Amino acid sequence: MSIDLLVQALLNGFGLAMVYVLVALGLTLIFSILEIINFAHGEFYMLGGYVTYYVYALFGLNYFATLGLAIVTVGLAGVVAERLIFHDLRGKALNAFIVSLGLLWVMQAGAQLAFGVLDKPVPSAFSGIVRMLGLVISLERLVVTVCAIVLIVGLYLFLRLSRPGRAMRAVAQDADAAALQGVNIEAVSALGFGVGCALAGGAGGLLAPLFAVSPAMGALPVVKAFIIIIVGGMGSLPGAVLGGLLLGGVEGLGTLFMGSAAVNILGFLMVIVVLLVRPRGLVGGA
Amino acid sequence: MAPSSSKAASPPPAARRGAGAPAAGVALVALAAATLPLVTRDSYYLDVATTILMNLTLTMSFRLQVSTGQINMAHISFMGIGAYASALLVTRVGLSFWATLWIGALVAAALAVPIGSVALRVSGPYYFLITFAFSEVVRLVFNNFLEGWFGGPSGLVGIPKPDRLLGLAFEGKLELYGLMAVLCVGVALAFVRLEYSRFGLTASAIRQADLLAETLGVDVFRYKLTTFVLGSFVAGLAGVFFAHFRQVLHSSDFGLEPMVLLVVFTVIGGTGSVWGPVVGTVLMTIAGELLRELHHYEILVFGAVLILTMLWAPEGLVALPATVRRLLRMRRSKDARAMGVGLAP
Repeated sequence: MSIDLLVQALLNGFGLAMVYVLVALGLTLIFSILEIINFAHGEFYMLGGYVTYYVYALFGLNYFATLGLAIVTVGLAGVVAERLIFHDLRGKALNAFIVSLGLLWVMQAGAQLAFGVLDKPVPSAFSGIVRMLGLVISLERLVVTVCAIVLIVGLYLFLRLSRPGRAMRAVAQDADAAALQGVNIEAVSALGFGVGCALAGGAGGLLAPLFAVSPAMGALPVVKAFIIIIVGGMGSLPGAVLGGLLLGGVEGLGTLFMGSAAVNILGFLMVIVVLLVRPRGLVGGA
Repeated sequence: MAPSSSKAASPPPAARRGAGAPAAGVALVALAAATLPLVTRDSYYLDVATTILMNLTLTMSFRLQVSTGQINMAHISFMGIGAYASALLVTRVGLSFWATLWIGALVAAALAVPIGSVALRVSGPYYFLITFAFSEVVRLVFNNFLEGWFGGPSGLVGIPKPDRLLGLAFEGKLELYGLMAVLCVGVALAFVRLEYSRFGLTASAIRQADLLAETLGVDVFRYKLTTFVLGSFVAGLAGVFFAHFRQVLHSSDFGLEPMVLLVVFTVIGGTGSVWGPVVGTVLMTIAGELLRELHHYEILVFGAVLILTMLWAPEGLVALPATVRRLLRMRRSKDARAMGVGLAP
């Protein structure tokens, strides 16, 4: 096997993995702030896809403006979900998990009723290919990957530098201590949930032109995001990026040896191995 | 405090009631199951009733694991393992259904030992996710690997109905219904006995405070693994029946959607008592049949019911009278004590 083929496969894997990292970062942010796992996270990704379909594919707004709109809309939907459903469930992992299963069904069935069950195609925003160092990369995938990386860096800066971002990190470290210091836990939880969902919405907008939009489109990315956060360590943002890179690498290489459907099993096997060796994930704390 | 006096003063409610009431309950269910064919022999109603009994077997075994605090998202996969094992043994090896009924369940239980040993090393949110990962691995194997055996995406077809036993041909709905009823009542009896045994009390101690139980000398891991394997055995049993009842197997029969349905059945009824899953399964299966024509609405309604139950009555329908009473009392006394909101009391 030539080295070119290997690098090409790895690049393909990493490109998509960065978008899945966005979904995973949202999940892990929500987990670190509210101590709950939102199984319906993929449905917020799906909402982002539909915003892109209606605004970009049908209405014809600029692609990047659409992306921003998808992020804001889905973020607001996340805030609503937190206020209506999740705000009382902080730390009740079992109950919150079951509630999120219910939300998954409500949102999926709601989408089927509102948008129809059929796949809706979203035209590519960019066409053509880029040749670099003997590698061939589709321009569209390159833009998607770069956008994902920009959003990841943006999240990092937001959490590092901004006041609400610092409040989120404080709540993640110790909610009671943060409250004693005057952090408004309610507001931070709602905002954190919103930001987490907004990231999923952005990912949905990014991948909508690559894959068609459908009510069940959230299943695959959320499963990948679960793999990423377990491997990286739940609640750890650097862990999510590391987990994403690992998953991208493993799946990219896997496509060289097996069919694309069968490749999905590699991620799960990775999860099982990691949990056996390091039950808290690669970067996870105590 | 002196253990003997405290035991005499306030025995746990379960012990106070003894096993008489639940045994009477099982008898009632058995009676109801036996009466149905006298009322109607319509194949649709028998079909629904058989499905209820099959789901009941699954939810009872799922609750067994919930009773030690584990939401096992791979429960449905052990049903699948039993189903595929039996289907292959009957069609490829030519064994009799009456042998594979037990072999299939044993295969599920045998695989549950290593899988449970791995999964139970982690707890809380990690446990949902690792069991979910296992269930996806199993589903993907059925769907994408060994197509010659498992039939791939188009499914495993041509599974025969159970063969004759004691002169009974299991061709019609009535006989299959009877078989499932016998299996279900047998499982219910075993679980009720277990619930009120030392094992059941220990399981409930683990659910309420597993660290405390461990300090008192309970081997928590072993108990959890035992419930995991036992639950998987029963799931496998239900799976074998499912395979020969439906005669077709698809990997999606054992995917996330039926698993969430199991959670819905169990949680809505309530996990604090063996009767929770019974109430939840019967009510929701019938509701599902009534809403069947409107598939999207069915899922929508089930999801909404699940959310509302968890938010307002997290102990389930069975505990509703007690919950309402406590709420009223709290309102009257304006008592600000925590409500004790949990999955199970």
